[in-house]
Amino acid sequence: MSIENVKAGDKMPDAENKVGKYTPIYYAGSSGDFNPIHIDPDFGKMVGLGGNILQGLCTMAYVMKSCTDWAGDPGALKRLKVRFAKPVYPLDTVVVHGEVKATGDDGSVVCDLSATTKNGSVQVITNAEAEFRKV
Amino acid sequence: MLDKKFIGKKYPPLDYHICREKIREYAKSIGDMNPLYHDDEAAKASKYGCIIAPPLFAVVYTGPLAYQVLLDKELKVNIMMVVHGEMDFEFGAVVRDGDVVTSDCEISDIYQKKDNEFIVAKVESKNQNGEMVSRGLSTFVVRGG
Repeated sequence: MSIENVKAGDKMPDAENKVGKYTPIYYAGSSGDFNPIHIDPDFGKMVGLGGNILQGLCTMAYVMKSCTDWAGDPGALKRLKVRFAKPVYPLDTVVVHGEVKATGDDGSVVCDLSATTKNGSVQVITNAEAEFRKV
Repeated sequence: MLDKKFIGKKYPPLDYHICREKIREYAKSIGDMNPLYHDDEAAKASKYGCIIAPPLFAVVYTGPLAYQVLLDKELKVNIMMVVHGEMDFEFGAVVRDGDVVTSDCEISDIYQKKDNEFIVAKVESKNQNGEMVSRGLSTFVVRGG
């Protein structure tokens, strides 16, 4: 889809991302992040996380995917920043929300984003912002 | 206690050869089936002319540098208590199958807030044509007791 005519207040479609039991392992393989907190439930419990948690950058990739799908072109994404607020666990469903904050005369667009789990009750990504360039 | 004297510490650059097979693997692991990342024919017919990497593939070509900071014996980071706090990426030229990306890393800040310590690592990456492909600021939190 084209984002040429969006305006402040327009919403991105919410996007669901189902985290499987082994998603942290597939993501470890593809990204190189084998930190035991992500792949070893016992280690996660030992350091007080309750179990193994998904790599934060994988959750950030779900936010990126919402941005690039919405813009229709990966080259349109100029900047993405996020805060990792709470852990995401295997079998969680991460829902990404986004809304247009501002647009520029040069075709640039800025959006606020967030991500939640547990039917919206846990904020896993906060203070997220994406900037898009005209392509 | 992390020593602020390490602010500005630089690490040796890292070269990474971008390959479509790794792009496919990464994109699949994050559930992103955009044909530009997977389908040779669709990608060739697109404005990019070849398979491209998702913007956040930057974590793959810069990953070892971030780990290098956390495992640096001089810093003495308690790796068991580290979580990723924030990530801020700027994206420049699109990364293409066959590119060679070179990344430089430096520690840009070290500070404390309440019981937690923070390390910020700055990574800048360029392709073989000298074009900026990404700039990342990773904030790691070393959780206090």
